[in-house]
Amino acid sequence: MPWLSRGQRTLLNCAPISQDNLADRSMRSAVSRAAPSADFVNQQNFDRAFAELVRLIPIPPETTEWFSEKDLVVGSKWTWKKMVRNPAVLAISIAVAVIAGVSVFLLVSHLNDFPGSATARKLLTVAASTRPVMLDPVSTEAGTLSDLFFMKHGLEHYDVPAEFADFRTIGCRVFEDEESRRIAQIWLGEKRMQLFLFPAERNTKTGAVLRFPGWRYVHQEGWVGAVTERSGVCFMAALRGREKDLQPYLSTAAGR
Amino acid sequence: MLGDSRKAQEVFHTTLREAALPAATGELPKEPFWLFRDARWRCLETNKADLQPEPLELPEHDLATQASSQIEQLDSTQLAIWISAAPDPQKTALALFYLDEFDYREILDLAELKLSELSRLLAQGRRQLQAWLNAKFPEPRNR
Repeated sequence: MPWLSRGQRTLLNCAPISQDNLADRSMRSAVSRAAPSADFVNQQNFDRAFAELVRLIPIPPETTEWFSEKDLVVGSKWTWKKMVRNPAVLAISIAVAVIAGVSVFLLVSHLNDFPGSATARKLLTVAASTRPVMLDPVSTEAGTLSDLFFMKHGLEHYDVPAEFADFRTIGCRVFEDEESRRIAQIWLGEKRMQLFLFPAERNTKTGAVLRFPGWRYVHQEGWVGAVTERSGVCFMAALRGREKDLQPYLSTAAGR
Repeated sequence: MLGDSRKAQEVFHTTLREAALPAATGELPKEPFWLFRDARWRCLETNKADLQPEPLELPEHDLATQASSQIEQLDSTQLAIWISAAPDPQKTALALFYLDEFDYREILDLAELKLSELSRLLAQGRRQLQAWLNAKFPEPRNR
Protein backbone atom coordinates (compact mmCIF):
# COMPACT_ATOMS: atom_id res chain seq x y z
CA MET A 1 0.00 0.00 0.00
CA PRO A 2 1.51 3.38 -0.96
CA TRP A 3 1.88 6.02 1.69
CA LEU A 4 -1.50 7.57 2.46
CA SER A 5 -2.39 10.30 4.85
CA ARG A 6 -4.75 9.59 7.72
CA GLY A 7 -7.48 11.53 5.96
CA GLN A 8 -7.01 9.49 2.78
CA ARG A 9 -7.20 6.23 4.72
CA THR A 10 -10.39 7.46 6.31
CA LEU A 11 -11.79 8.28 2.89
CA LEU A 12 -10.71 4.95 1.39
CA ASN A 13 -12.85 3.06 3.87
CA CYS A 14 -15.81 4.92 2.33
CA ALA A 15 -14.58 4.48 -1.26
CA PRO A 16 -17.52 4.02 -3.59
CA ILE A 17 -18.31 0.60 -4.95
CA SER A 18 -18.98 2.03 -8.42
CA GLN A 19 -16.32 4.28 -9.86
CA ASP A 20 -19.19 6.50 -11.11
CA ASN A 21 -19.79 7.62 -7.53
CA LEU A 22 -16.41 9.27 -7.02
CA ALA A 23 -17.98 12.24 -5.30
CA ASP A 24 -15.19 14.78 -4.99
CA ARG A 25 -11.58 15.54 -5.74
CA SER A 26 -10.23 14.34 -2.38
CA MET A 27 -11.94 10.97 -2.83
CA ARG A 28 -10.70 10.68 -6.43
CA SER A 29 -7.20 11.48 -5.27
CA ALA A 30 -7.27 8.91 -2.46
CA VAL A 31 -8.67 6.19 -4.74
CA SER A 32 -6.15 7.03 -7.42
CA ARG A 33 -3.25 6.67 -4.97
CA ALA A 34 -4.57 3.44 -3.46
CA ALA A 35 -5.70 1.84 -6.72
CA PRO A 36 -2.60 -0.30 -7.27
CA SER A 37 -2.57 -1.66 -3.71
CA ALA A 38 -3.69 -5.25 -3.16
CA ASP A 39 -5.50 -4.31 0.05
CA PHE A 40 -7.63 -1.73 -1.70
CA VAL A 41 -8.36 -4.06 -4.64
CA ASN A 42 -9.39 -6.68 -2.10
CA GLN A 43 -11.68 -4.19 -0.35
CA GLN A 44 -13.26 -3.17 -3.65
CA ASN A 45 -13.87 -6.80 -4.65
CA PHE A 46 -15.35 -7.48 -1.23
CA ASP A 47 -17.67 -4.48 -1.48
CA ARG A 48 -18.72 -5.28 -5.05
CA ALA A 49 -19.57 -8.87 -4.12
CA PHE A 50 -21.69 -7.71 -1.19
CA ALA A 51 -23.40 -5.02 -3.25
CA GLU A 52 -24.36 -7.63 -5.85
CA LEU A 53 -25.76 -9.82 -3.10
CA VAL A 54 -27.74 -6.89 -1.69
CA ARG A 55 -29.36 -6.43 -5.09
CA LEU A 56 -30.62 -10.01 -4.79
CA ILE A 57 -32.45 -9.35 -1.52
CA PRO A 58 -36.05 -10.11 -2.45
CA ILE A 59 -38.43 -7.18 -2.48
CA PRO A 60 -42.13 -7.96 -1.94
CA PRO A 61 -44.12 -7.71 -5.18
CA GLU A 62 -46.53 -5.27 -3.50
CA THR A 63 -43.59 -2.91 -3.10
CA THR A 64 -41.94 -3.49 -6.47
CA GLU A 65 -45.18 -2.68 -8.27
CA TRP A 66 -44.85 0.85 -6.90
CA PHE A 67 -41.75 1.23 -9.02
CA SER A 68 -42.94 -0.69 -12.04
CA GLU A 69 -45.52 1.92 -12.87
CA LYS A 70 -44.06 4.46 -15.22
CA ASP A 71 -46.13 7.25 -13.76
CA LEU A 72 -45.10 6.72 -10.12
CA VAL A 73 -43.70 10.19 -9.72
CA VAL A 74 -45.41 11.75 -12.69
CA GLY A 75 -48.04 14.32 -11.80
CA SER A 76 -51.68 13.45 -12.05
CA LYS A 77 -53.05 13.14 -15.53
CA TRP A 78 -54.03 16.30 -17.25
CA THR A 79 -57.71 16.54 -17.99
CA TRP A 80 -59.97 19.28 -19.28
CA LYS A 81 -62.17 18.94 -16.21
CA LYS A 82 -59.20 19.39 -13.85
CA MET A 83 -57.88 22.31 -15.81
CA VAL A 84 -61.24 24.07 -15.80
CA ARG A 85 -61.51 23.59 -12.02
CA ASN A 86 -58.11 25.16 -11.46
CA PRO A 87 -58.81 28.47 -9.66
CA ALA A 88 -56.25 30.35 -11.73
CA VAL A 89 -57.70 29.08 -15.01
CA LEU A 90 -61.21 29.78 -13.73
CA ALA A 91 -60.31 33.37 -12.74
CA ILE A 92 -58.59 34.03 -16.07
CA SER A 93 -61.53 32.54 -17.98
CA ILE A 94 -64.03 34.74 -16.12
CA ALA A 95 -61.86 37.81 -16.67
CA VAL A 96 -61.51 37.05 -20.38
CA ALA A 97 -65.28 36.41 -20.64
CA VAL A 98 -66.06 39.74 -18.94
CA ILE A 99 -63.58 41.63 -21.14
CA ALA A 100 -64.98 39.90 -24.23
CA GLY A 101 -68.54 40.69 -23.14
CA VAL A 102 -67.76 44.37 -22.55
CA SER A 103 -65.88 44.54 -25.86
CA VAL A 104 -68.79 42.99 -27.75
CA PHE A 105 -71.22 45.32 -25.98
CA LEU A 106 -69.14 48.38 -26.89
CA LEU A 107 -68.69 47.14 -30.44
CA VAL A 108 -72.41 46.51 -30.91
CA SER A 109 -73.37 49.81 -29.31
CA HIS A 110 -70.92 51.69 -31.52
CA LEU A 111 -71.98 49.83 -34.64
CA ASN A 112 -75.05 52.10 -34.77
CA ASP A 113 -73.12 55.26 -34.00
CA PHE A 114 -73.47 58.15 -36.40
CA PRO A 115 -72.41 61.83 -36.32
CA GLY A 116 -74.46 63.42 -33.54
CA SER A 117 -75.38 60.16 -31.78
CA ALA A 118 -73.65 61.30 -28.57
CA THR A 119 -75.66 64.52 -28.50
CA ALA A 120 -78.84 62.59 -29.32
CA ARG A 121 -78.28 60.32 -26.31
CA LYS A 122 -77.74 63.31 -24.02
CA LEU A 123 -80.99 64.81 -25.31
CA LEU A 124 -82.83 61.58 -24.51
CA THR A 125 -81.70 62.13 -20.91
CA VAL A 126 -83.03 65.68 -21.13
CA ALA A 127 -86.31 64.31 -22.50
CA ALA A 128 -86.62 61.91 -19.58
CA SER A 129 -86.20 64.72 -17.03
CA THR A 130 -88.32 67.39 -18.79
CA ARG A 131 -91.71 68.36 -17.28
CA PRO A 132 -94.40 70.19 -19.30
CA VAL A 133 -94.15 73.27 -17.06
CA MET A 134 -90.58 73.76 -18.20
CA LEU A 135 -91.75 74.56 -21.74
CA ASP A 136 -93.63 77.55 -23.08
CA PRO A 137 -97.19 76.40 -23.77
CA VAL A 138 -97.83 76.40 -27.51
CA SER A 139 -100.80 74.69 -29.10
CA THR A 140 -100.25 74.44 -32.83
CA GLU A 141 -99.06 72.07 -35.52
CA ALA A 142 -95.41 71.10 -35.07
CA GLY A 143 -94.55 72.06 -38.65
CA THR A 144 -95.39 75.68 -38.03
CA LEU A 145 -92.82 76.10 -35.26
CA SER A 146 -90.01 76.40 -37.83
CA ASP A 147 -91.06 80.00 -38.41
CA LEU A 148 -91.13 80.67 -34.68
CA PHE A 149 -87.62 79.31 -34.21
CA PHE A 150 -86.38 81.42 -37.11
CA MET A 151 -88.23 84.61 -36.27
CA LYS A 152 -87.82 84.59 -32.50
CA HIS A 153 -84.48 82.78 -32.07
CA GLY A 154 -82.78 83.19 -35.45
CA LEU A 155 -82.48 79.44 -35.94
CA GLU A 156 -82.27 78.55 -39.60
CA HIS A 157 -83.38 75.19 -41.00
CA TYR A 158 -84.86 74.13 -37.64
CA ASP A 159 -87.62 72.43 -39.62
CA VAL A 160 -89.81 69.63 -38.32
CA PRO A 161 -89.87 66.83 -40.94
CA ALA A 162 -93.11 66.14 -42.77
CA GLU A 163 -93.63 62.87 -40.84
CA PHE A 164 -94.18 64.87 -37.64
CA ALA A 165 -95.31 68.23 -39.01
CA ASP A 166 -99.02 67.64 -38.51
CA PHE A 167 -98.96 66.62 -34.84
CA ARG A 168 -100.33 69.07 -32.26
CA THR A 169 -97.86 70.58 -29.85
CA ILE A 170 -98.21 71.17 -26.10
CA GLY A 171 -95.20 73.40 -25.68
CA CYS A 172 -91.73 74.26 -26.88
CA ARG A 173 -88.52 75.94 -25.80
CA VAL A 174 -85.03 76.79 -27.03
CA PHE A 175 -82.08 76.20 -24.70
CA GLU A 176 -78.32 75.87 -24.86
CA ASP A 177 -76.50 72.70 -23.96
CA GLU A 178 -73.16 72.57 -22.13
CA GLU A 179 -71.39 73.24 -25.43
CA SER A 180 -73.48 76.33 -26.05
CA ARG A 181 -75.30 74.75 -28.95
CA ARG A 182 -78.88 75.94 -29.30
CA ILE A 183 -81.41 73.15 -29.02
CA ALA A 184 -85.07 73.41 -29.88
CA GLN A 185 -87.39 71.14 -27.91
CA ILE A 186 -91.05 70.50 -28.79
CA TRP A 187 -93.56 68.52 -26.75
CA LEU A 188 -96.32 66.77 -28.68
CA GLY A 189 -99.68 65.58 -27.48
CA GLU A 190 -99.15 62.41 -29.51
CA LYS A 191 -97.94 59.71 -27.09
CA ARG A 192 -96.16 62.43 -25.06
CA MET A 193 -93.53 62.41 -27.78
CA GLN A 194 -90.75 65.02 -27.73
CA LEU A 195 -88.97 66.47 -30.76
CA PHE A 196 -85.48 67.94 -30.73
CA LEU A 197 -83.69 70.04 -33.31
CA PHE A 198 -79.95 70.60 -32.86
CA PRO A 199 -76.93 71.51 -35.01
CA ALA A 200 -75.41 68.58 -36.88
CA GLU A 201 -71.83 67.66 -36.12
CA ARG A 202 -69.18 69.23 -38.30
CA ASN A 203 -65.68 68.28 -39.31
CA THR A 204 -63.39 70.05 -36.84
CA LYS A 205 -60.89 70.93 -39.57
CA THR A 206 -63.04 71.81 -42.57
CA GLY A 207 -66.27 72.76 -40.84
CA ALA A 208 -68.22 70.60 -43.27
CA VAL A 209 -71.43 69.00 -41.96
CA LEU A 210 -71.01 65.30 -41.22
CA ARG A 211 -74.02 63.88 -43.00
CA PHE A 212 -75.69 60.50 -42.67
CA PRO A 213 -78.56 59.10 -44.68
CA GLY A 214 -82.06 58.21 -43.45
CA TRP A 215 -83.16 57.62 -39.89
CA ARG A 216 -80.96 56.26 -37.14
CA TYR A 217 -82.04 55.03 -33.75
CA VAL A 218 -80.47 55.82 -30.38
CA HIS A 219 -81.38 54.39 -26.98
CA GLN A 220 -80.90 55.74 -23.48
CA GLU A 221 -82.47 54.74 -20.18
CA GLY A 222 -85.66 53.31 -21.64
CA TRP A 223 -86.07 56.05 -24.17
CA VAL A 224 -85.69 55.68 -27.92
CA GLY A 225 -84.96 58.37 -30.46
CA ALA A 226 -85.10 58.40 -34.27
CA VAL A 227 -82.62 60.88 -35.72
CA THR A 228 -82.21 62.31 -39.20
CA GLU A 229 -80.11 65.13 -40.61
CA ARG A 230 -81.27 67.80 -43.01
CA SER A 231 -79.52 71.02 -44.05
CA GLY A 232 -76.97 70.82 -41.24
CA VAL A 233 -79.62 70.39 -38.56
CA CYS A 234 -80.41 67.11 -36.82
CA PHE A 235 -83.98 66.24 -35.93
CA MET A 236 -84.84 63.68 -33.27
CA ALA A 237 -88.24 62.29 -32.34
CA ALA A 238 -88.08 60.72 -28.88
CA LEU A 239 -90.45 58.76 -26.68
CA ARG A 240 -90.30 56.34 -23.80
CA GLY A 241 -90.46 52.90 -25.33
CA ARG A 242 -88.89 50.84 -28.04
CA GLU A 243 -88.04 51.20 -31.72
CA LYS A 244 -91.28 49.56 -32.78
CA ASP A 245 -93.18 52.43 -31.08
CA LEU A 246 -91.46 54.91 -33.36
CA GLN A 247 -91.43 52.84 -36.54
CA PRO A 248 -95.04 53.62 -37.61
CA TYR A 249 -94.19 57.34 -37.72
CA LEU A 250 -91.17 56.73 -39.93
CA SER A 251 -92.80 54.26 -42.29
CA THR A 252 -93.01 56.84 -44.98
CA ALA A 253 -89.39 57.98 -44.50
CA ALA A 254 -86.86 56.98 -47.07
CA GLY A 255 -83.44 55.59 -46.35
CA ARG A 256 -84.40 53.39 -43.38
CA MET B 1 -32.57 -2.33 7.89
CA LEU B 2 -35.31 -4.59 9.30
CA GLY B 3 -34.40 -8.07 8.09
CA ASP B 4 -38.10 -8.76 7.58
CA SER B 5 -39.75 -8.05 4.24
CA ARG B 6 -43.22 -7.73 5.80
CA LYS B 7 -42.09 -5.07 8.24
CA ALA B 8 -40.07 -3.35 5.52
CA GLN B 9 -43.19 -3.22 3.38
CA GLU B 10 -45.22 -1.73 6.23
CA VAL B 11 -42.59 0.94 6.81
CA PHE B 12 -42.40 1.62 3.08
CA HIS B 13 -46.16 2.11 2.78
CA THR B 14 -46.38 4.17 5.97
CA THR B 15 -43.56 6.43 4.78
CA LEU B 16 -45.22 7.01 1.42
CA ARG B 17 -48.65 7.50 2.98
CA GLU B 18 -47.32 10.07 5.45
CA ALA B 19 -45.47 11.82 2.64
CA ALA B 20 -48.61 11.99 0.52
CA LEU B 21 -50.30 14.59 2.74
CA PRO B 22 -47.56 17.26 2.61
CA ALA B 23 -47.07 16.39 -1.07
CA ALA B 24 -50.75 17.11 -1.75
CA THR B 25 -50.53 20.50 -0.04
CA GLY B 26 -47.18 21.34 -1.60
CA GLU B 27 -45.43 21.40 1.78
CA LEU B 28 -42.72 18.88 1.11
CA PRO B 29 -39.40 19.57 2.87
CA LYS B 30 -36.87 21.21 0.60
CA GLU B 31 -33.91 19.27 2.02
CA PRO B 32 -32.76 16.37 -0.13
CA PHE B 33 -33.18 12.78 1.11
CA TRP B 34 -35.88 13.72 3.62
CA LEU B 35 -37.93 10.73 2.50
CA PHE B 36 -34.99 8.34 3.04
CA ARG B 37 -34.24 9.92 6.40
CA ASP B 38 -37.89 9.53 7.38
CA ALA B 39 -37.88 5.88 6.26
CA ARG B 40 -34.69 5.28 8.25
CA TRP B 41 -36.22 6.65 11.45
CA ARG B 42 -39.33 4.56 10.95
CA CYS B 43 -37.15 1.48 10.54
CA LEU B 44 -35.28 2.29 13.74
CA GLU B 45 -38.56 2.84 15.60
CA THR B 46 -39.88 -0.47 14.33
CA ASN B 47 -36.69 -2.19 15.47
CA LYS B 48 -37.05 -0.68 18.93
CA ALA B 49 -40.36 -2.45 19.37
CA ASP B 50 -38.79 -5.82 18.52
CA LEU B 51 -36.69 -8.12 20.63
CA GLN B 52 -33.20 -6.66 20.75
CA PRO B 53 -30.19 -8.87 20.06
CA GLU B 54 -27.79 -9.10 22.94
CA PRO B 55 -24.86 -6.76 22.48
CA LEU B 56 -21.97 -8.99 21.46
CA GLU B 57 -18.42 -8.17 20.61
CA LEU B 58 -18.22 -9.79 17.20
CA PRO B 59 -14.95 -11.25 16.01
CA GLU B 60 -13.13 -9.38 13.28
CA HIS B 61 -10.94 -10.85 10.53
CA ASP B 62 -8.83 -9.28 7.81
CA LEU B 63 -10.48 -9.33 4.42
CA ALA B 64 -9.74 -12.54 2.57
CA THR B 65 -8.72 -12.65 -1.07
CA GLN B 66 -11.27 -15.39 -1.61
CA ALA B 67 -14.04 -13.40 0.07
CA SER B 68 -15.90 -13.07 -3.24
CA SER B 69 -16.32 -16.82 -3.55
CA GLN B 70 -17.48 -17.00 0.07
CA ILE B 71 -20.03 -14.28 -0.55
CA GLU B 72 -21.31 -16.14 -3.62
CA GLN B 73 -22.34 -18.99 -1.33
CA LEU B 74 -24.25 -16.65 0.93
CA ASP B 75 -28.00 -16.23 0.70
CA SER B 76 -29.11 -12.62 0.24
CA THR B 77 -31.73 -12.96 2.98
CA GLN B 78 -29.05 -14.09 5.42
CA LEU B 79 -27.06 -10.97 4.64
CA ALA B 80 -30.17 -8.81 5.15
CA ILE B 81 -30.75 -10.39 8.55
CA TRP B 82 -27.07 -9.97 9.53
CA ILE B 83 -27.10 -6.26 8.67
CA SER B 84 -30.44 -5.68 10.39
CA ALA B 85 -29.07 -7.28 13.56
CA ALA B 86 -26.11 -4.87 13.65
CA PRO B 87 -26.37 -2.01 16.14
CA ASP B 88 -27.22 1.37 14.76
CA PRO B 89 -25.59 3.48 13.33
CA GLN B 90 -23.50 0.63 11.87
CA LYS B 91 -26.68 -0.93 10.51
CA THR B 92 -27.60 2.28 8.69
CA ALA B 93 -24.05 2.78 7.42
CA LEU B 94 -23.79 -0.75 5.98
CA ALA B 95 -27.32 -0.75 4.55
CA LEU B 96 -26.88 2.58 2.78
CA PHE B 97 -23.33 1.81 1.64
CA TYR B 98 -24.11 -1.60 0.11
CA LEU B 99 -27.25 -0.28 -1.56
CA ASP B 100 -24.69 1.44 -3.79
CA GLU B 101 -27.09 4.29 -4.53
CA PHE B 102 -25.50 7.07 -2.46
CA ASP B 103 -22.03 8.55 -2.33
CA TYR B 104 -20.28 8.85 1.03
CA ARG B 105 -21.33 12.49 1.55
CA GLU B 106 -24.96 11.58 1.03
CA ILE B 107 -24.62 8.73 3.51
CA LEU B 108 -23.10 11.14 6.04
CA ASP B 109 -26.09 13.43 5.56
CA LEU B 110 -28.65 10.66 5.72
CA ALA B 111 -27.19 8.81 8.69
CA GLU B 112 -26.14 12.02 10.46
CA LEU B 113 -22.59 10.78 10.88
CA LYS B 114 -19.11 12.27 10.72
CA LEU B 115 -16.67 11.02 8.09
CA SER B 116 -14.42 9.42 10.70
CA GLU B 117 -17.42 7.61 12.20
CA LEU B 118 -18.65 6.31 8.84
CA SER B 119 -15.11 5.21 7.95
CA ARG B 120 -14.73 3.33 11.22
CA LEU B 121 -18.17 1.72 10.99
CA LEU B 122 -17.60 0.48 7.43
CA ALA B 123 -14.12 -0.83 8.13
CA GLN B 124 -15.33 -2.59 11.25
CA GLY B 125 -18.38 -3.95 9.40
CA ARG B 126 -16.20 -5.44 6.66
CA ARG B 127 -13.96 -7.19 9.18
CA GLN B 128 -16.97 -8.53 11.09
CA LEU B 129 -18.60 -9.72 7.90
CA GLN B 130 -15.38 -11.47 6.92
CA ALA B 131 -15.29 -13.18 10.31
CA TRP B 132 -18.88 -14.25 9.82
CA LEU B 133 -18.09 -15.58 6.34
CA ASN B 134 -15.09 -17.45 7.71
CA ALA B 135 -17.24 -19.00 10.37
CA LYS B 136 -19.94 -19.90 7.91
CA PHE B 137 -17.75 -21.10 5.05
CA PRO B 138 -14.45 -22.17 6.58
CA GLU B 139 -13.09 -23.84 3.41
CA PRO B 140 -11.47 -20.80 1.80
CA ARG B 141 -8.73 -19.85 4.20
CA ASN B 142 -7.81 -16.32 5.20
CA ARG B 143 -4.65 -14.75 3.99
